[in-house]
Amino acid sequence: MNLTTRSSIFQRVRRNVSTTPYLHLATTATIAFSLLIIGTFALVYTNISDLIRSWQDNIRVVAYLSDGLPEGRRTSLQQRLAKLYGVGEIRYVSKDAAMDRLKRQMKHRLSLLEGLQENPLPASFEIRLVQGWQGWERLDPLVDQIKQLPDIEDVEYGQAWLRRFSQFIAFFRLASLIIGVLIVATTVFVCTNTIKLTLYTKRQELEIMSLVGATDAFIQTPFYIESLIEGFLGGLIAVGLLFGTYRLFISRVQSPHLLLSSGEIAFLSLTACGALLAVGMLIGWFGSYLSLKRFLRP
Amino acid sequence: MIMTTGAEPVIRMFHVHKRYGSQMALHDVNLTVLKNDFVFITGQSGAGKTTLLRLLFLDEVVSQGQILVNGIHLQRIRRAKIPFLRRNMGVVFQDFRLIHSYTVYENVALVLETTGQQKRYIQKRARQVLRMVGLEDRLHAYPQRLSGGEQQRVAVARAAVGNPLILLADEPTGNLDTTAADMVFDLFRQLHTRGTTVIVATHDSRLFEKVQGRIVVLNQGCVESKLTV
Ligand SMILES: Nc1ncnc2c1ncn2[C@@H]1O[C@H](COP(=O)(O)OP(=O)(O)O)[C@@H](O)[C@H]1O
Ligand SMILES: [Mg+2]
Repeated sequence: MNLTTRSSIFQRVRRNVSTTPYLHLATTATIAFSLLIIGTFALVYTNISDLIRSWQDNIRVVAYLSDGLPEGRRTSLQQRLAKLYGVGEIRYVSKDAAMDRLKRQMKHRLSLLEGLQENPLPASFEIRLVQGWQGWERLDPLVDQIKQLPDIEDVEYGQAWLRRFSQFIAFFRLASLIIGVLIVATTVFVCTNTIKLTLYTKRQELEIMSLVGATDAFIQTPFYIESLIEGFLGGLIAVGLLFGTYRLFISRVQSPHLLLSSGEIAFLSLTACGALLAVGMLIGWFGSYLSLKRFLRP
Repeated sequence: MIMTTGAEPVIRMFHVHKRYGSQMALHDVNLTVLKNDFVFITGQSGAGKTTLLRLLFLDEVVSQGQILVNGIHLQRIRRAKIPFLRRNMGVVFQDFRLIHSYTVYENVALVLETTGQQKRYIQKRARQVLRMVGLEDRLHAYPQRLSGGEQQRVAVARAAVGNPLILLADEPTGNLDTTAADMVFDLFRQLHTRGTTVIVATHDSRLFEKVQGRIVVLNQGCVESKLTV
Protein backbone atom coordinates (compact mmCIF):
# COMPACT_ATOMS: atom_id res chain seq x y z
CA MET A 1 0.00 0.00 0.00
CA ASN A 2 1.64 3.24 -1.10
CA LEU A 3 1.32 6.85 -0.04
CA THR A 4 -1.68 7.68 -2.20
CA THR A 5 -3.81 4.74 -1.18
CA ARG A 6 -2.84 5.32 2.43
CA SER A 7 -3.83 8.98 2.39
CA SER A 8 -7.00 8.10 0.53
CA ILE A 9 -7.82 5.56 3.22
CA PHE A 10 -7.27 8.04 6.03
CA GLN A 11 -9.36 10.59 4.20
CA ARG A 12 -12.18 8.06 4.10
CA VAL A 13 -11.76 7.31 7.80
CA ARG A 14 -12.23 11.01 8.50
CA ARG A 15 -15.15 11.20 6.12
CA ASN A 16 -16.85 8.16 7.62
CA VAL A 17 -16.49 9.44 11.16
CA SER A 18 -17.88 12.85 10.23
CA THR A 19 -20.85 11.47 8.29
CA THR A 20 -21.99 9.01 10.97
CA PRO A 21 -20.58 10.43 14.22
CA TYR A 22 -23.25 8.90 16.46
CA LEU A 23 -22.70 5.38 15.23
CA HIS A 24 -19.00 5.76 15.94
CA LEU A 25 -19.72 7.26 19.33
CA ALA A 26 -22.06 4.38 20.11
CA THR A 27 -19.39 1.83 19.24
CA THR A 28 -16.80 3.58 21.39
CA ALA A 29 -19.22 3.87 24.32
CA THR A 30 -20.24 0.22 24.07
CA ILE A 31 -16.64 -0.91 24.13
CA ALA A 32 -15.80 1.47 26.99
CA PHE A 33 -18.73 0.23 29.04
CA SER A 34 -17.91 -3.44 28.69
CA LEU A 35 -14.22 -2.85 29.40
CA LEU A 36 -15.21 -0.91 32.50
CA ILE A 37 -17.06 -3.94 33.81
CA ILE A 38 -14.23 -6.28 32.93
CA GLY A 39 -11.71 -3.89 34.48
CA THR A 40 -13.70 -3.70 37.69
CA PHE A 41 -13.71 -7.46 38.01
CA ALA A 42 -9.98 -7.54 37.35
CA LEU A 43 -9.32 -4.84 39.92
CA VAL A 44 -11.30 -6.61 42.63
CA TYR A 45 -9.79 -9.95 41.79
CA THR A 46 -6.16 -8.85 41.76
CA ASN A 47 -6.51 -7.04 45.06
CA ILE A 48 -8.20 -9.88 46.85
CA SER A 49 -5.79 -12.46 45.55
CA ASP A 50 -2.81 -10.28 46.49
CA LEU A 51 -4.27 -10.01 49.96
CA ILE A 52 -4.74 -13.74 50.24
CA ARG A 53 -1.21 -14.34 49.10
CA SER A 54 0.18 -12.02 51.72
CA TRP A 55 -1.93 -13.73 54.38
CA GLN A 56 -0.82 -17.11 53.18
CA ASP A 57 2.80 -16.06 53.40
CA ASN A 58 2.23 -15.24 57.03
CA ILE A 59 0.59 -18.43 58.07
CA ARG A 60 1.96 -19.70 61.33
CA VAL A 61 1.34 -23.06 62.86
CA VAL A 62 1.20 -22.93 66.63
CA ALA A 63 2.03 -26.11 68.54
CA TYR A 64 0.98 -25.96 72.22
CA LEU A 65 3.16 -27.84 74.66
CA SER A 66 2.16 -29.93 77.65
CA ASP A 67 2.43 -28.07 80.94
CA GLY A 68 5.62 -28.39 82.91
CA LEU A 69 7.73 -29.76 80.12
CA PRO A 70 11.41 -29.93 81.21
CA GLU A 71 13.84 -27.95 79.17
CA GLY A 72 15.70 -30.97 77.80
CA ARG A 73 12.56 -32.57 76.40
CA ARG A 74 11.61 -29.25 74.95
CA THR A 75 14.92 -28.82 73.11
CA SER A 76 14.76 -32.28 71.62
CA LEU A 77 11.15 -31.62 70.55
CA GLN A 78 12.29 -28.46 68.84
CA GLN A 79 15.02 -30.37 67.05
CA ARG A 80 12.54 -32.94 65.82
CA LEU A 81 10.21 -30.22 64.66
CA ALA A 82 12.99 -28.50 62.77
CA LYS A 83 13.64 -31.68 60.80
CA LEU A 84 10.10 -31.84 59.46
CA TYR A 85 9.84 -30.98 55.80
CA GLY A 86 8.48 -27.48 55.26
CA VAL A 87 9.18 -26.14 58.70
CA GLY A 88 11.06 -22.87 58.68
CA GLU A 89 11.80 -20.69 61.64
CA ILE A 90 10.67 -21.94 65.05
CA ARG A 91 10.12 -19.59 67.93
CA TYR A 92 9.54 -20.66 71.50
CA VAL A 93 6.93 -18.74 73.45
CA SER A 94 7.06 -19.49 77.12
CA LYS A 95 4.05 -19.38 79.43
CA ASP A 96 5.24 -16.02 80.78
CA ALA A 97 5.84 -14.60 77.34
CA ALA A 98 2.35 -15.70 76.31
CA MET A 99 0.88 -13.94 79.34
CA ASP A 100 2.87 -10.78 78.63
CA ARG A 101 1.58 -10.75 75.08
CA LEU A 102 -1.97 -11.21 76.27
CA LYS A 103 -1.59 -8.36 78.72
CA ARG A 104 -0.30 -6.13 75.99
CA GLN A 105 -3.23 -7.00 73.78
CA MET A 106 -5.73 -6.35 76.56
CA LYS A 107 -4.16 -3.28 78.07
CA HIS A 108 -7.54 -1.66 78.70
CA ARG A 109 -8.98 -4.68 80.48
CA LEU A 110 -6.02 -5.61 82.63
CA SER A 111 -8.30 -5.94 85.67
CA LEU A 112 -9.74 -9.10 84.16
CA LEU A 113 -6.34 -10.76 84.27
CA GLU A 114 -5.29 -9.56 87.66
CA GLY A 115 -7.54 -11.99 89.46
CA LEU A 116 -5.79 -15.00 88.01
CA GLN A 117 -3.95 -17.23 90.56
CA GLU A 118 -1.69 -18.94 88.09
CA ASN A 119 -0.88 -18.55 84.43
CA PRO A 120 -3.40 -20.64 82.43
CA LEU A 121 -1.68 -20.10 79.11
CA PRO A 122 0.36 -22.95 77.66
CA ALA A 123 3.88 -22.57 76.30
CA SER A 124 4.09 -23.01 72.55
CA PHE A 125 6.24 -23.21 69.46
CA GLU A 126 5.34 -20.78 66.72
CA ILE A 127 6.34 -22.39 63.49
CA ARG A 128 6.77 -20.46 60.27
CA LEU A 129 6.76 -22.34 57.02
CA VAL A 130 9.53 -22.32 54.46
CA GLN A 131 8.99 -19.56 51.89
CA GLY A 132 6.89 -20.62 48.95
CA TRP A 133 5.79 -23.76 50.68
CA GLN A 134 2.36 -22.63 51.81
CA GLY A 135 0.13 -24.85 49.73
CA TRP A 136 -2.98 -26.10 51.44
CA GLU A 137 -2.42 -29.62 50.26
CA ARG A 138 0.89 -29.77 52.07
CA LEU A 139 -0.18 -28.01 55.22
CA ASP A 140 -2.60 -30.67 56.43
CA PRO A 141 -0.11 -33.59 56.47
CA LEU A 142 2.43 -31.37 58.22
CA VAL A 143 -0.04 -30.49 60.95
CA ASP A 144 -0.87 -34.19 61.37
CA GLN A 145 2.83 -35.02 61.72
CA ILE A 146 3.31 -32.34 64.36
CA LYS A 147 0.26 -33.55 66.29
CA GLN A 148 1.78 -37.03 66.56
CA LEU A 149 4.94 -35.81 68.24
CA PRO A 150 5.14 -36.40 72.01
CA ASP A 151 4.52 -33.56 74.45
CA ILE A 152 2.37 -31.67 71.96
CA GLU A 153 -1.04 -30.89 73.36
CA ASP A 154 -2.64 -29.32 70.38
CA VAL A 155 -1.81 -27.76 67.01
CA GLU A 156 -3.58 -24.78 65.58
CA TYR A 157 -3.29 -22.58 62.61
CA GLY A 158 -5.35 -19.50 63.05
CA GLN A 159 -5.90 -18.82 59.40
CA ALA A 160 -7.90 -21.98 58.75
CA TRP A 161 -10.71 -19.85 57.39
CA LEU A 162 -8.32 -18.66 54.72
CA ARG A 163 -8.75 -21.97 53.01
CA ARG A 164 -12.48 -21.45 52.64
CA PHE A 165 -11.89 -17.96 51.47
CA SER A 166 -9.39 -18.85 48.80
CA GLN A 167 -11.74 -21.51 47.51
CA PHE A 168 -14.32 -18.79 47.18
CA ILE A 169 -11.80 -16.64 45.35
CA ALA A 170 -11.01 -19.42 42.92
CA PHE A 171 -14.70 -19.61 42.21
CA PHE A 172 -14.89 -15.85 41.87
CA ARG A 173 -12.12 -15.96 39.33
CA LEU A 174 -13.84 -18.62 37.27
CA ALA A 175 -17.12 -16.72 37.43
CA SER A 176 -15.47 -13.46 36.36
CA LEU A 177 -13.72 -15.23 33.52
CA ILE A 178 -17.01 -16.59 32.24
CA ILE A 179 -18.74 -13.25 32.68
CA GLY A 180 -15.82 -11.53 30.94
CA VAL A 181 -16.06 -13.84 27.93
CA LEU A 182 -19.82 -13.28 27.76
CA ILE A 183 -19.36 -9.53 27.93
CA VAL A 184 -16.74 -9.57 25.19
CA ALA A 185 -18.93 -11.75 22.99
CA THR A 186 -21.95 -9.50 23.52
CA THR A 187 -19.89 -6.42 22.78
CA VAL A 188 -18.53 -7.93 19.59
CA PHE A 189 -22.10 -8.70 18.60
CA VAL A 190 -23.29 -5.17 19.32
CA CYS A 191 -20.30 -3.64 17.51
CA THR A 192 -20.83 -5.91 14.53
CA ASN A 193 -24.33 -4.59 14.20
CA THR A 194 -23.36 -0.96 14.61
CA ILE A 195 -20.67 -1.35 11.97
CA LYS A 196 -23.21 -3.06 9.72
CA LEU A 197 -25.35 0.04 10.01
CA THR A 198 -22.41 2.19 8.92
CA LEU A 199 -21.79 -0.16 6.03
CA TYR A 200 -25.43 -0.04 5.10
CA THR A 201 -25.40 3.74 4.85
CA LYS A 202 -22.31 3.43 2.64
CA ARG A 203 -23.34 0.47 0.53
CA GLN A 204 -23.69 2.48 -2.69
CA GLU A 205 -20.24 3.98 -2.25
CA LEU A 206 -18.66 0.61 -1.48
CA GLU A 207 -20.28 -1.09 -4.43
CA ILE A 208 -19.13 1.63 -6.81
CA MET A 209 -15.59 1.44 -5.47
CA SER A 210 -15.54 -2.24 -6.18
CA LEU A 211 -16.87 -1.65 -9.70
CA VAL A 212 -14.11 0.81 -10.51
CA GLY A 213 -11.43 -1.66 -9.45
CA ALA A 214 -10.84 -1.13 -5.74
CA THR A 215 -9.56 -4.20 -3.93
CA ASP A 216 -11.29 -5.55 -0.84
CA ALA A 217 -8.35 -4.35 1.22
CA PHE A 218 -8.74 -0.80 -0.11
CA ILE A 219 -12.46 -0.84 0.62
CA GLN A 220 -12.24 -2.48 4.03
CA THR A 221 -9.17 -0.95 5.61
CA PRO A 222 -10.86 2.30 6.72
CA PHE A 223 -13.45 0.31 8.63
CA TYR A 224 -10.78 -1.73 10.39
CA ILE A 225 -8.86 1.42 11.26
CA GLU A 226 -11.97 3.11 12.58
CA SER A 227 -12.90 0.27 14.86
CA LEU A 228 -9.33 -0.22 16.07
CA ILE A 229 -9.29 3.47 17.02
CA GLU A 230 -12.71 3.11 18.65
CA GLY A 231 -11.55 0.06 20.58
CA PHE A 232 -8.46 1.94 21.74
CA LEU A 233 -10.47 4.99 22.77
CA GLY A 234 -13.02 2.78 24.50
CA GLY A 235 -10.18 1.19 26.43
CA LEU A 236 -8.73 4.57 27.40
CA ILE A 237 -12.11 5.79 28.60
CA ALA A 238 -12.65 2.61 30.61
CA VAL A 239 -9.20 2.79 32.25
CA GLY A 240 -9.72 6.50 32.95
CA LEU A 241 -13.11 5.99 34.55
CA LEU A 242 -11.84 3.05 36.53
CA PHE A 243 -8.87 5.03 37.79
CA GLY A 244 -11.10 7.97 38.75
CA THR A 245 -13.45 5.71 40.68
CA TYR A 246 -10.51 3.99 42.30
CA ARG A 247 -9.02 7.28 43.50
CA LEU A 248 -12.37 8.35 44.85
CA PHE A 249 -12.78 5.05 46.66
CA ILE A 250 -9.29 5.23 48.14
CA SER A 251 -9.79 8.74 49.46
CA ARG A 252 -13.07 7.74 51.10
CA VAL A 253 -11.98 4.44 52.60
CA GLN A 254 -8.73 5.14 54.33
CA SER A 255 -9.53 3.61 57.67
CA PRO A 256 -6.58 1.33 58.43
CA HIS A 257 -8.44 -0.98 60.80
CA LEU A 258 -10.40 -2.45 57.93
CA LEU A 259 -9.72 -5.94 56.78
CA LEU A 260 -7.45 -4.49 54.13
CA SER A 261 -4.95 -3.08 56.57
CA SER A 262 -2.24 -5.53 55.62
CA GLY A 263 -1.81 -4.03 52.18
CA GLU A 264 -2.91 -1.06 50.20
CA ILE A 265 -5.51 -1.35 47.49
CA ALA A 266 -3.55 -1.31 44.29
CA PHE A 267 -4.72 -0.15 40.87
CA LEU A 268 -4.40 -2.41 37.86
CA SER A 269 -0.85 -2.94 36.68
CA LEU A 270 0.34 -1.24 33.52
CA THR A 271 0.23 -4.62 31.80
CA ALA A 272 -3.38 -5.10 32.82
CA CYS A 273 -4.30 -1.63 31.53
CA GLY A 274 -2.52 -2.43 28.28
CA ALA A 275 -4.43 -5.70 28.12
CA LEU A 276 -7.73 -3.81 28.50
CA LEU A 277 -6.79 -1.55 25.57
CA ALA A 278 -5.79 -4.59 23.56
CA VAL A 279 -9.09 -6.30 24.32
CA GLY A 280 -10.91 -3.15 23.20
CA MET A 281 -9.03 -3.10 19.91
CA LEU A 282 -9.61 -6.81 19.47
CA ILE A 283 -13.33 -6.31 19.98
CA GLY A 284 -13.33 -3.55 17.36
CA TRP A 285 -11.29 -5.55 14.92
CA PHE A 286 -13.42 -8.64 15.30
CA GLY A 287 -16.63 -6.62 14.99
CA SER A 288 -15.40 -5.16 11.69
CA TYR A 289 -14.25 -8.52 10.48
CA LEU A 290 -17.63 -10.13 11.09
CA SER A 291 -19.69 -7.32 9.60
CA LEU A 292 -17.45 -6.85 6.56
CA LYS A 293 -17.34 -10.56 5.90
CA ARG A 294 -21.10 -10.72 5.75
CA PHE A 295 -21.51 -7.47 3.91
CA LEU A 296 -19.07 -7.80 1.06
CA ARG A 297 -19.65 -11.44 0.17
CA PRO A 298 -22.73 -11.83 -1.95
CA MET B 1 -15.44 -13.26 -38.99
CA ILE B 2 -12.23 -13.02 -40.94
CA MET B 3 -9.34 -11.25 -39.32
CA THR B 4 -6.92 -9.56 -41.60
CA THR B 5 -5.12 -7.26 -39.25
CA GLY B 6 -3.55 -9.94 -37.13
CA ALA B 7 -4.51 -7.98 -34.02
CA GLU B 8 -5.14 -10.04 -30.96
CA PRO B 9 -8.65 -10.55 -29.61
CA VAL B 10 -9.34 -8.65 -26.40
CA ILE B 11 -12.82 -9.97 -25.80
CA ARG B 12 -14.26 -13.26 -26.90
CA MET B 13 -17.75 -14.47 -26.14
CA PHE B 14 -18.69 -18.07 -26.93
CA HIS B 15 -22.34 -19.12 -26.99
CA VAL B 16 -23.19 -16.78 -24.17
CA HIS B 17 -26.64 -17.02 -22.65
CA LYS B 18 -27.95 -14.86 -19.87
CA ARG B 19 -31.23 -15.39 -18.10
CA TYR B 20 -32.80 -13.39 -15.31
CA GLY B 21 -35.12 -15.96 -13.83
CA SER B 22 -37.22 -17.00 -16.77
CA GLN B 23 -36.43 -13.79 -18.69
CA MET B 24 -33.93 -14.43 -21.48
CA ALA B 25 -31.68 -11.35 -21.81
CA LEU B 26 -29.00 -12.79 -24.11
CA HIS B 27 -29.26 -15.82 -26.35
CA ASP B 28 -26.29 -17.62 -27.86
CA VAL B 29 -24.12 -14.55 -28.36
CA ASN B 30 -20.79 -15.07 -30.12
CA LEU B 31 -18.57 -12.06 -30.42
CA THR B 32 -14.90 -11.26 -30.89
CA VAL B 33 -13.53 -7.81 -30.27
CA LEU B 34 -9.98 -7.13 -31.36
CA LYS B 35 -7.45 -4.88 -29.73
CA ASN B 36 -8.13 -1.25 -30.59
CA ASP B 37 -11.51 -1.98 -32.18
CA PHE B 38 -14.27 0.60 -31.93
CA VAL B 39 -17.53 -1.29 -31.59
CA PHE B 40 -21.10 -0.12 -31.31
CA ILE B 41 -23.56 -2.50 -29.72
CA THR B 42 -26.97 -1.40 -30.82
CA GLY B 43 -30.53 -2.55 -30.75
CA GLN B 44 -33.84 -1.52 -29.29
CA SER B 45 -34.43 -0.96 -25.65
CA GLY B 46 -34.49 -4.33 -23.91
CA ALA B 47 -32.35 -5.97 -26.59
CA GLY B 48 -29.66 -6.92 -24.07
CA LYS B 49 -27.00 -4.23 -24.61
CA THR B 50 -26.57 -3.37 -20.94
CA THR B 51 -26.57 -7.02 -20.00
CA LEU B 52 -23.80 -7.75 -22.49
CA LEU B 53 -21.60 -5.02 -21.03
CA ARG B 54 -22.29 -6.02 -17.44
CA LEU B 55 -21.13 -9.55 -18.17
CA LEU B 56 -17.78 -8.18 -19.32
CA PHE B 57 -16.85 -6.51 -16.04
CA LEU B 58 -18.44 -9.24 -13.95
CA ASP B 59 -21.29 -7.19 -12.59
CA GLU B 60 -23.27 -10.24 -13.67
CA VAL B 61 -22.23 -13.78 -14.55
CA VAL B 62 -23.27 -15.75 -17.61
CA SER B 63 -25.92 -18.43 -17.33
CA GLN B 64 -24.23 -20.47 -20.01
CA GLY B 65 -21.27 -20.06 -22.35
CA GLN B 66 -17.85 -18.55 -21.91
CA ILE B 67 -16.22 -15.14 -21.94
CA LEU B 68 -12.54 -14.33 -22.22
CA VAL B 69 -11.22 -10.86 -21.52
CA ASN B 70 -7.51 -10.32 -22.17
CA GLY B 71 -7.19 -14.08 -22.17
CA ILE B 72 -8.74 -14.32 -18.69
CA HIS B 73 -11.54 -16.77 -18.35
CA LEU B 74 -14.27 -14.85 -16.54
CA GLN B 75 -16.02 -17.96 -15.30
CA ARG B 76 -12.88 -19.15 -13.56
CA ILE B 77 -11.38 -15.93 -12.28
CA ARG B 78 -10.57 -15.81 -8.57
CA ARG B 79 -12.48 -13.27 -6.54
CA ALA B 80 -9.29 -11.51 -5.52
CA LYS B 81 -8.35 -10.96 -9.17
CA ILE B 82 -11.58 -9.23 -10.13
CA PRO B 83 -10.40 -5.72 -9.12
CA PHE B 84 -7.39 -6.10 -11.42
CA LEU B 85 -9.64 -7.13 -14.28
CA ARG B 86 -11.82 -4.08 -13.67
CA ARG B 87 -8.82 -1.76 -13.59
CA ASN B 88 -8.24 -2.59 -17.24
CA MET B 89 -11.71 -1.38 -18.03
CA GLY B 90 -13.31 2.01 -17.84
CA VAL B 91 -17.06 1.74 -17.53
CA VAL B 92 -19.66 4.42 -18.19
CA PHE B 93 -22.75 3.07 -16.46
CA GLN B 94 -26.13 3.71 -17.95
CA ASP B 95 -27.25 4.99 -14.55
CA PHE B 96 -23.91 6.81 -13.96
CA ARG B 97 -23.27 5.35 -10.48
CA LEU B 98 -21.51 8.35 -9.02
CA ILE B 99 -20.78 8.46 -5.31
CA HIS B 100 -23.11 11.10 -3.93
CA SER B 101 -20.93 11.99 -0.96
CA TYR B 102 -17.92 12.66 -3.21
CA THR B 103 -17.35 15.75 -5.29
CA VAL B 104 -16.99 15.54 -9.05
CA TYR B 105 -13.24 15.67 -8.69
CA GLU B 106 -13.18 13.03 -5.94
CA ASN B 107 -15.35 10.68 -7.96
CA VAL B 108 -12.89 10.82 -10.83
CA ALA B 109 -9.73 10.80 -8.71
CA LEU B 110 -10.90 7.71 -6.80
CA VAL B 111 -10.07 5.48 -9.75
CA LEU B 112 -6.44 6.59 -9.68
CA GLU B 113 -6.28 6.39 -5.89
CA THR B 114 -7.27 2.74 -5.94
CA THR B 115 -4.29 2.00 -8.13
CA GLY B 116 -2.01 4.14 -5.99
CA GLN B 117 -0.90 6.74 -8.53
CA GLN B 118 1.23 9.71 -7.51
CA LYS B 119 -0.82 12.48 -5.98
CA ARG B 120 0.48 15.07 -8.41
CA TYR B 121 -0.35 12.89 -11.39
CA ILE B 122 -3.86 12.25 -10.05
CA GLN B 123 -4.54 15.96 -9.75
CA LYS B 124 -3.24 16.69 -13.21
CA ARG B 125 -4.95 13.80 -14.94
CA ALA B 126 -8.34 14.13 -13.20
CA ARG B 127 -8.51 17.84 -14.06
CA GLN B 128 -7.45 17.09 -17.60
CA VAL B 129 -10.26 14.62 -18.37
CA LEU B 130 -12.81 16.78 -16.59
CA ARG B 131 -11.73 19.67 -18.79
CA MET B 132 -12.18 17.50 -21.85
CA VAL B 133 -15.83 16.85 -20.97
CA GLY B 134 -16.39 20.53 -20.16
CA LEU B 135 -16.64 20.26 -16.39
CA GLU B 136 -13.51 22.14 -15.32
CA ASP B 137 -15.59 24.61 -13.33
CA ARG B 138 -17.67 21.96 -11.52
CA LEU B 139 -14.80 20.14 -9.84
CA HIS B 140 -16.05 20.65 -6.31
CA ALA B 141 -19.76 20.25 -6.95
CA TYR B 142 -21.61 17.20 -5.62
CA PRO B 143 -23.28 14.99 -8.23
CA GLN B 144 -26.80 15.62 -6.99
CA ARG B 145 -26.39 19.31 -7.72
CA LEU B 146 -25.59 18.54 -11.37
CA SER B 147 -27.89 18.07 -14.32
CA GLY B 148 -28.30 14.59 -15.80
CA GLY B 149 -26.04 15.53 -18.68
CA GLU B 150 -23.33 16.80 -16.35
CA GLN B 151 -23.51 13.66 -14.25
CA GLN B 152 -23.18 11.60 -17.37
CA ARG B 153 -20.04 13.51 -18.33
CA VAL B 154 -18.57 12.91 -14.88
CA ALA B 155 -19.23 9.22 -15.45
CA VAL B 156 -17.44 9.44 -18.80
CA ALA B 157 -14.49 11.25 -17.25
CA ARG B 158 -14.23 8.63 -14.53
CA ALA B 159 -14.23 5.83 -17.10
CA ALA B 160 -11.52 7.53 -19.13
CA VAL B 161 -9.25 8.78 -16.38
CA GLY B 162 -7.30 5.57 -15.92
CA ASN B 163 -6.41 5.21 -19.64
CA PRO B 164 -8.09 1.81 -19.67
CA LEU B 165 -7.34 -0.95 -22.14
CA ILE B 166 -11.04 -1.33 -22.72
CA LEU B 167 -13.71 1.34 -22.46
CA LEU B 168 -17.28 0.16 -21.99
CA ALA B 169 -19.84 2.92 -22.40
CA ASP B 170 -23.55 2.27 -21.88
CA GLU B 171 -25.67 4.91 -23.61
CA PRO B 172 -22.99 7.51 -22.85
CA THR B 173 -24.75 10.31 -24.70
CA GLY B 174 -28.30 9.49 -23.64
CA ASN B 175 -28.67 12.72 -21.68
CA LEU B 176 -26.44 14.96 -23.77
CA ASP B 177 -27.04 17.65 -26.34
CA THR B 178 -24.99 17.62 -29.54
CA THR B 179 -22.13 19.74 -28.23
CA ALA B 180 -21.70 17.65 -25.11
CA ALA B 181 -22.02 14.44 -27.12
CA ASP B 182 -19.27 15.69 -29.40
CA MET B 183 -17.03 16.35 -26.44
CA VAL B 184 -17.59 12.85 -25.15
CA PHE B 185 -16.82 11.35 -28.53
CA ASP B 186 -13.69 13.47 -28.84
CA LEU B 187 -12.53 11.92 -25.60
CA PHE B 188 -13.39 8.41 -26.80
CA ARG B 189 -11.57 9.02 -30.05
CA GLN B 190 -8.52 10.25 -28.20
CA LEU B 191 -8.45 7.11 -26.05
CA HIS B 192 -9.00 5.02 -29.15
CA THR B 193 -6.08 6.66 -30.89
CA ARG B 194 -3.90 5.77 -27.93
CA GLY B 195 -4.84 2.12 -28.23
CA THR B 196 -7.94 1.68 -26.12
CA THR B 197 -10.56 -0.75 -27.31
CA VAL B 198 -13.90 1.05 -27.17
CA ILE B 199 -17.34 -0.53 -26.93
CA VAL B 200 -20.33 1.77 -26.95
CA ALA B 201 -23.83 0.45 -26.32
CA THR B 202 -26.46 2.74 -27.80
CA HIS B 203 -29.85 2.68 -29.41
CA ASP B 204 -29.02 5.97 -31.17
CA SER B 205 -27.93 5.24 -34.76
CA ARG B 206 -26.83 8.84 -35.29
CA LEU B 207 -23.74 8.08 -33.23
CA PHE B 208 -22.41 5.71 -35.89
CA GLU B 209 -21.42 8.66 -38.02
CA LYS B 210 -19.07 9.97 -35.35
CA VAL B 211 -16.51 7.19 -35.59
CA GLN B 212 -15.53 4.53 -38.01
CA GLY B 213 -16.24 1.26 -36.33
CA ARG B 214 -18.05 -2.01 -36.25
CA ILE B 215 -21.70 -2.30 -35.43
CA VAL B 216 -23.22 -5.26 -33.68
CA VAL B 217 -26.99 -5.33 -33.73
CA LEU B 218 -28.81 -7.11 -30.95
CA ASN B 219 -32.40 -8.11 -31.23
CA GLN B 220 -34.21 -9.70 -28.30
CA GLY B 221 -30.95 -11.03 -26.92
CA CYS B 222 -29.60 -12.44 -30.19
CA VAL B 223 -26.90 -11.03 -32.44
CA GLU B 224 -28.79 -10.06 -35.57
CA SER B 225 -25.92 -8.72 -37.66
CA LYS B 226 -22.36 -7.50 -37.51
CA LEU B 227 -21.36 -4.73 -39.90
CA THR B 228 -18.38 -2.54 -40.47
CA VAL B 229 -18.92 1.08 -41.50
N1 LIG C 1 -31.51 -7.27 -13.18
C1 LIG C 1 -32.47 -7.72 -14.05
N2 LIG C 1 -33.44 -8.53 -13.60
C2 LIG C 1 -34.37 -9.00 -14.42
N3 LIG C 1 -34.43 -8.74 -15.71
C3 LIG C 1 -33.50 -7.93 -16.24
C4 LIG C 1 -32.48 -7.37 -15.42
N4 LIG C 1 -31.68 -6.61 -16.20
C5 LIG C 1 -32.20 -6.69 -17.45
N5 LIG C 1 -33.28 -7.47 -17.48
C6 LIG C 1 -34.07 -7.82 -18.67
O1 LIG C 1 -33.20 -8.29 -19.64
C7 LIG C 1 -33.54 -7.78 -20.92
C8 LIG C 1 -32.37 -7.00 -21.50
O2 LIG C 1 -32.18 -5.85 -20.73
P1 LIG C 1 -30.99 -4.82 -20.98
O3 LIG C 1 -29.74 -5.60 -21.11
O4 LIG C 1 -31.04 -3.80 -19.94
O5 LIG C 1 -31.41 -4.20 -22.37
P2 LIG C 1 -30.93 -2.86 -23.07
O6 LIG C 1 -29.76 -2.34 -22.31
O7 LIG C 1 -30.59 -3.26 -24.45
O8 LIG C 1 -32.08 -1.94 -23.02
C9 LIG C 1 -34.75 -6.90 -20.70
O9 LIG C 1 -35.89 -7.65 -21.07
C10 LIG C 1 -34.74 -6.59 -19.25
O10 LIG C 1 -36.04 -6.46 -18.77
MG1 LIG D 1 -29.47 -0.52 -21.40
